[in-house]
Amino acid sequence: MNISYNWLKELIDFDFSAQELAEKLTNAGVAVDSVEPFGEDDYVLTFDLTSNRSDCLSHLGIAREVRALTGNHLKSLVNTERIPSDKPSDLVRIEASDCYRFTARIIKGVKVGSSPDWLVRKLEAVGERSINNIADITNYVMHELGQPMHAFDLDRLEGSRIIVRRARKGEKIKTLDGVERTLDDTMLAICDVCKPVAIAGIMGGEESGICEETTNVLLEVAYFDKNSIRQTSRRLKLSTQASYRFERGVDIENLIQASNRATELICEIAGGVDVEFVDIYPARSSRVTVELRPDRVRELTGVNVEREEILRILSLLGFILQGDFSSDKLSFEVPSWRHDISIEEDLIEEVIRIVGYDSISEELAPSFGAGEYQPNEARKRNLRKVLTDLGFSEAICYSFIDISHDEQFELASNFVNEGLDEKFITLKDSIIEGAVRMRPTLLPGLLDSIRRNFNYGQRNVRLFEIGRAFAALSKEHGAFPVERELFAIAMTGGYMLQNKALPIRELDFYDAKGALEAAFDALNLPEPSFKPENVRHLRTGQSAAIYFGDRRVGTLGRLSDSIAQKYKFRQPVFVAEVDLELLLSLEEEKVFYKKLPSFPSIVRDVAFLVSKNLSFAEIRRAIKEQEFPLLSRIEFVEVYEGREIPEDMRSLTIRLEYRSEERTLKEEEVEAVNEAVIEFLKASFGVVKRFS
Amino acid sequence: MKEQIQRIKDELREALSSFDNLDLRELKLVEVEANLRKLRDLKIRFTGKKSPISEAKRQIGALPAEQRASFGKLIQETESEILNSIEHLERELASYALDLKTRVESLDVTIPGFRPESGSLHPITLLRQRIEDIFVSMGYAVEDDREIENDYYNFDALNIPEGHPAREAEDTFYTTNGLALRSQTSTVQIRAMERRGVPIRIIAPGKVYRNDTPDPTHIPMFHQVEGLCVDRGITMAHLKGTVAEWLRRLFGKGTKIRMRPSYFPFTEPSAEFDFSCFKCSGTGVFEGEKCRPCKGTGWIELGGCGMVHPNVLRNCGVDPQVFSGFAFGFGLERMCAMLYSIDDIRLMYENDVRFLKQFR
Repeated sequence: MNISYNWLKELIDFDFSAQELAEKLTNAGVAVDSVEPFGEDDYVLTFDLTSNRSDCLSHLGIAREVRALTGNHLKSLVNTERIPSDKPSDLVRIEASDCYRFTARIIKGVKVGSSPDWLVRKLEAVGERSINNIADITNYVMHELGQPMHAFDLDRLEGSRIIVRRARKGEKIKTLDGVERTLDDTMLAICDVCKPVAIAGIMGGEESGICEETTNVLLEVAYFDKNSIRQTSRRLKLSTQASYRFERGVDIENLIQASNRATELICEIAGGVDVEFVDIYPARSSRVTVELRPDRVRELTGVNVEREEILRILSLLGFILQGDFSSDKLSFEVPSWRHDISIEEDLIEEVIRIVGYDSISEELAPSFGAGEYQPNEARKRNLRKVLTDLGFSEAICYSFIDISHDEQFELASNFVNEGLDEKFITLKDSIIEGAVRMRPTLLPGLLDSIRRNFNYGQRNVRLFEIGRAFAALSKEHGAFPVERELFAIAMTGGYMLQNKALPIRELDFYDAKGALEAAFDALNLPEPSFKPENVRHLRTGQSAAIYFGDRRVGTLGRLSDSIAQKYKFRQPVFVAEVDLELLLSLEEEKVFYKKLPSFPSIVRDVAFLVSKNLSFAEIRRAIKEQEFPLLSRIEFVEVYEGREIPEDMRSLTIRLEYRSEERTLKEEEVEAVNEAVIEFLKASFGVVKRFS
Repeated sequence: MKEQIQRIKDELREALSSFDNLDLRELKLVEVEANLRKLRDLKIRFTGKKSPISEAKRQIGALPAEQRASFGKLIQETESEILNSIEHLERELASYALDLKTRVESLDVTIPGFRPESGSLHPITLLRQRIEDIFVSMGYAVEDDREIENDYYNFDALNIPEGHPAREAEDTFYTTNGLALRSQTSTVQIRAMERRGVPIRIIAPGKVYRNDTPDPTHIPMFHQVEGLCVDRGITMAHLKGTVAEWLRRLFGKGTKIRMRPSYFPFTEPSAEFDFSCFKCSGTGVFEGEKCRPCKGTGWIELGGCGMVHPNVLRNCGVDPQVFSGFAFGFGLERMCAMLYSIDDIRLMYENDVRFLKQFR
């Protein structure tokens, strides 16, 4: 909304420069966005008003704020104080309760033409284009007094009468912008005896509008229900200066003044005679009264404002004290232009914004209780730290993803209710095309991010994300979904060193697994088990499910070739996703000191030829179960595939560590047990020791 | 015997003669090392178990008693003479060898150290953690709740009744089963008061959603931090003091704050809060030019705040005649963008590793 500095001065005297004025108004809650010079000696102030202050959408409104800031009086603009006839009239009939008040004015014998320069300039200052003198005057008064109005060509109104009613479903009207619009029965229309001639409070019709031939004018100045105008404006997707003001609320008691002001200007500029003035006001309601306990101002703001000062400020803002000034509760009648004042706190804000928020001191609230993080925040910070140390950067992806990802990924266990037709949460519409699915997995977001990094020429990418996934809980309308916090990683490219150009090797499955193991350690969890399992989005043979005890917490592996192909990934990508909420609900490992060994150990590294169907974990578990004497530890050394090894086999080297807590061991006794272990593996798995 | 000694000495001189004219500077490391080996051999040859010296020592016992002492002394002296002359050369050569080795094995210490590449936290996480630390130290509890809410928590409870412009704004995401993606973290105010009752002091950082077309200053998902303090006798001075305190802890002691009247449905009175620019210290000028984060105004607009609306308190079963409170909220992306001079907040969700690695 624009205000001309000079125009404002016609309404009230003040000594502020345009800059000072802008600052003072902003500090009082009427925010000025910019001050720009206009013409030779004027300035245009652009306001960024909050939606509650519709009373400030005019020069009069801003002048009232200046009055509160300066104590100066408003200047009177209207010379004629014509009172409308209260006799019943055939001119206007209101048939809808959405119209609270309607005034109609008949001005005869006007000459439509161009506006005088001063009028054109003033409209230009507030950003309006001149149309013709009648239209310009209605616009002018709207900017001056805040009251939108509409002028009809009286002779083009069928029956020369106005009926305010709901439109009939399907009724059509061609509005002033040249668009034919179809109305429905929720919309308020201004009609002549046969058809709508204007959409109430929004825009007039083309046929009944002012044109060059117009000589007799019917000037409508009315008040419509705010919600009705807003809904109609939404439905028609048509927002105008008028609808903007009506849907926020105009001053129902200002209609007569506005009509008088416009009529006066029309008679003066376009000629014409004011012949009839009708005011239909069926919805006259009592004014709102709000009570204020002067002590509450201090109790809520911490600023001590005297009772006299409170009264002075509120009076300048147009509030009228009702009853006794010295009572505990002061009662104020709210001015008709203020739609935003209904409770004591509203009045307190009025007082304190004029006193100035700068007068509020700075204090700390008295303490209460101790601060606390969210449960598990410390563990999550640990997790994040470990992952960044391992080379992962933290990603944040949108919570809504494209529906094309549906059914591509295996989702967290016990999360999606498979019994539902609609398992997922879907948005009605999204600004990002196709992205209407609330993600049930973090992986698509991370893969999209990897794709983007590839596009930017980054082939070595390690990302992780901690965030929520969503799934429906029940099919009931309005039932809250499950929001589950997951943790996922995605990695591809080489194992990079800081500040070095080349990777030392390519990343593989075990890098991803190592990262997960480190993550679990960071969360202080017991040892998980990784079981080879087929997972929908992972390549068979390089995929694992992760278990803590018998609880399946997630999956890990190399992205399947079919998904990789969709993303046009030309290098392997490894992903893992785990249910972080489930992990955090597991009991933390308690740490106890274990006595350090007193005697040295003897180790044997043994290479075995094993089938690819046999895992290290199985071998280790089998040996452990045998409880060989002296065998204290079984460790992985290396695995080798390739030359000399049959395709379905691997060379697996295992370190067997022997130790006694009582004495230093002799080679011979260790050798005996070690042979027994090797024999055992041969007997139970057919596993043969290499190099023997 | 004396002749024997003399012979040994002559032999030694002969053996060491090749070292007399040795110009160390002309030798390579391998040659120096070969000479050192030669000296070690000589030492063994002249003073080892099978050396003439050892032989002579063994003969001492056979000498008449009165000669033993003097002869013993003579051998002793000879032995140390031999050792001295060899070891002198050894020392010289060894020291030179070390010099050479040191030179050969010298490193370029400017080459990067060996360390696996590290990643970094998202700037939003970094900022969130700093803010959480500050508020926890001020006695606040960190809270969060659902991201998908119903209209009651997203609107009604926050005093945004049906028909209110804020509610009809087309930027709320709705799900097909009638829920809304929370459009502000103020929802947590309600949830937390229902859970914890009052008095209460919380902050609630979290994701919020608005169906806005992405541009350099808007994204459809972003993060807010909501603060809430309700107790007996809470005033706007407490609000102002609290906002000033945490901003000072984040941006430094000299930070000033200012509040301007504003409007939010869930607070009354309401305000927007600005803080003096961290870059130009509120002067509007940085290194002779118009300061960027504050656009030369010296002030940075950060968020909204106010005294909790009595309807909101009542909706949570709190009597506004007994309790009062303040609330504030601000966007993390905006703050992050200013803090790190990021001119396009969409970058924050691209997850470009070149972007992410800049923050620590």
